[in-house]
Amino acid sequence: MDKLVVTAASRVTEADVRAAKLGSRFGRLDLSSQLALLAVEALGLDFDAHRRDRVGICLAARAGSLSTDVEYWSGRGNAGGPSPTLFAYTLPSAAIGEIAIRHRLTGPNLCMVGGNTGLLAEAVELFRSGETDSCLCVECNVITPALAAILGTPATALACALYVVRGGAGRALGENDRDIESLCALLNPSPSIP
Amino acid sequence: MSDLVHDLKVKIVEFLKLDGVTPEQIDDNAPLFGSGLDLDSIDALELVVMLEAHYGIIIKDIEEGRPAFQSVRSLADFITARRRS
Repeated sequence: MDKLVVTAASRVTEADVRAAKLGSRFGRLDLSSQLALLAVEALGLDFDAHRRDRVGICLAARAGSLSTDVEYWSGRGNAGGPSPTLFAYTLPSAAIGEIAIRHRLTGPNLCMVGGNTGLLAEAVELFRSGETDSCLCVECNVITPALAAILGTPATALACALYVVRGGAGRALGENDRDIESLCALLNPSPSIP
Repeated sequence: MSDLVHDLKVKIVEFLKLDGVTPEQIDDNAPLFGSGLDLDSIDALELVVMLEAHYGIIIKDIEEGRPAFQSVRSLADFITARRRS
């Protein structure tokens, strides 16, 4: 198999989400989906140059959808009940759908929950099995203050994304590259946030 | 009625989290779904929740609410009628 290379990397935070201009429906996404979508936007890719059914999406959701679950659950006492919109995001993989819809990507995808998931190794398998020519690898780490209070951990909200392709120029993806966030830090992206 | 129409527009922008849309930009008679604001089925459910939360109006049958969701104006008419009944 050709070597795999990272051609673009990005890292975004909640501050970037607040400044983003991604259309009138961006605001209804949950924070994880907003971050994931924005991280992909920040890669600056032109998907018209790709076969959209050959672009994979691999998402690592460190805390799953727990932050959104907590927000949804906290609305159960409201008149009318909790937000139906929010319900759609009580799935860790929701962000994959948002990315796929925005960029009309129909390739394979997978979602893994937890830290150190080995997601990059799974992405490599997509290439090895011939299912994909390129892959968006996204890692979300969202612990809202409400969830942080429950877990007793610090709140955080960030997402990192890598674009991995077969061959060509870029940073070679090595066997020791396991964690998207660490790799993004190594590549030191300075994305242009839309 | 005009106060209610304006209030509804504010609530729609707030509840549906319409980025970059102001209440003033929403036409009283423009379709809420399909064109105009181009809302979808989840937005419809959100509007049902909004009606109960802010106007105390419960829609148990979505078919009952369907005519009301044509536009902001029809929604205001629906609320006014339900308050009278």
